[in-house]
Amino acid sequence: MAKMSRKGWFLAGGGVCLFLLLAPVLLRGYWVRLLTNMFMFGILAESVNIIAGYCGYLALGNMVFFGMGAYTAGVLMAKFAFSFFPALIIAGLGASLFTVCIGFPILRLKGQYFLMATMGLLELLREITTNISLTGGGQGITLPIFPGRAAAANHFFYYFMFGLMILSMVCTFAISKSHLGYAFRAIKFDEDAASVMGINPTPYKTIAWAISAFFTSLTGAGYAYWMSYIDPGEAYQIMPSIKMYLMMVLGGGGTVLGPILGAFFVEFISELVWGNFLELHFLILGLILVIVVVFTPKGLMDLFQK
Amino acid sequence: MVILEGKRVTKHFGGLTAVNEVDFEIQRGEIFGLIGPNGSGKTTLLNLINGIFPVTKGEILFLGSRLNGLKPHRITRLGMGRAFQVVRAFEGMTVKENVLVGSLFGAKNRKDIRTGMKEVEGVLDFVRLGAKKDYRISEITIADRKRLELARALAMTPELLLLDEVMAGLNPREVEDMMEMVLEVNRKGITVLLIEHVMKAVMGISQRIMVLHHGKKIALGSPKEIAENEEVIKSYLGDKFVRREAERRDLS
Repeated sequence: MAKMSRKGWFLAGGGVCLFLLLAPVLLRGYWVRLLTNMFMFGILAESVNIIAGYCGYLALGNMVFFGMGAYTAGVLMAKFAFSFFPALIIAGLGASLFTVCIGFPILRLKGQYFLMATMGLLELLREITTNISLTGGGQGITLPIFPGRAAAANHFFYYFMFGLMILSMVCTFAISKSHLGYAFRAIKFDEDAASVMGINPTPYKTIAWAISAFFTSLTGAGYAYWMSYIDPGEAYQIMPSIKMYLMMVLGGGGTVLGPILGAFFVEFISELVWGNFLELHFLILGLILVIVVVFTPKGLMDLFQK
Repeated sequence: MVILEGKRVTKHFGGLTAVNEVDFEIQRGEIFGLIGPNGSGKTTLLNLINGIFPVTKGEILFLGSRLNGLKPHRITRLGMGRAFQVVRAFEGMTVKENVLVGSLFGAKNRKDIRTGMKEVEGVLDFVRLGAKKDYRISEITIADRKRLELARALAMTPELLLLDEVMAGLNPREVEDMMEMVLEVNRKGITVLLIEHVMKAVMGISQRIMVLHHGKKIALGSPKEIAENEEVIKSYLGDKFVRREAERRDLS
């Protein structure tokens, strides 16, 4: 496919955005919920992209920040009567602060060691959450229900996830054009060479992880409020962690649009396959993903950039 | 004036002594050659100088400040640029972006991206890569990669440039080009520490040469003194080199 011109991107992007803005009015509830879900995974994949796609870290444990966000919002809203937005901000900042504290030891690890440390973190937080009373333990926690009609709630969470997704893309775009972006990519390709070229790797990696955690945590908080119930098993699952990573790789790591594309693609195909082949769902989904990876090893974005 | 000084610099890797009590002084403005057989500790010494490995014993002074314990990125910003032996370009970036990283982070002063880009254009023109600035690393030749290494180091606006075998793998014509470039860099006032196996190059452009063997300094002197030093001939240059040099002198 030919490289798209700047104007082409602008028009296509504007058209898609306009459609998505009007979608809740035009489409049935099922589609609105499906799109909300796609946006959610879009944010999660974009968040992984910042630490994995740009910085090259095998961040397969990012779900830990989703769980932290969900539980921070859950506990603040259910037990301390916070309203949603203050709880949301605290959830986001809390997760970022957490990465800064653990980043200095953990981000010195590379490759699979980093992977093991973050997965360990996921297990650790799930166990802690299951065993203390503040979080409601293994029974989970019920959040206040969104006031108003069901349709209003649907629209609220639709625009919430949509807005957050756009914000995560704008943020990633700004990073990619800044000092941060160049430092992240240099670290990804050769950390030693990067440091000889004047980059101090640990602070940069910590910043990448903090931004990634921030968006992931906001998404978790939004999800908890959307579902109005959260339990440790769901909040700290390993599968979505792998899924968001897969979406990022599939769409194209280290690009702004790739992870979003990957998330939409996987969620949409998954929904289609699920609806048509209930029994063989995973088999067929897996097959499609293998085919896509074989033909576009650098991600779907590569089709547009050649 | 001394720009870089090593005092009894020593590095142990477990039981192996890679660099053994090496003393040296590099004068500001000179081209200082570092030669020796494979495994003699040349690259290790470079790694000690720019902080990739900590020294086991001894100390290294750069522009009067002690480098021991400083991380590579700090040392770089003091004014030391390095080109690697094995080309370590950032594969997923373009030629221009590779050099930009050096300009943004390796220079003493922080600058914005637009200023950095402008400087990079100049550096790329200097190493004659201007026409290939938007190429990916996988699309350029070995000779271009070597020039790119030089460009990345120059973009850090160093006072001391460490060049680790930038001429290895180049054909004679490309070696000539590279020699000319190094001389031109030096004329701009940048001190050069050059590790090289291509004898014609080191002998041709260095003012002084230090020879390492099994981690020890076995000789230090002008190219002529080094070419005539018996110990150097025995351990590194070999009789053939001496005979060839003699023939060359006879012919001229």
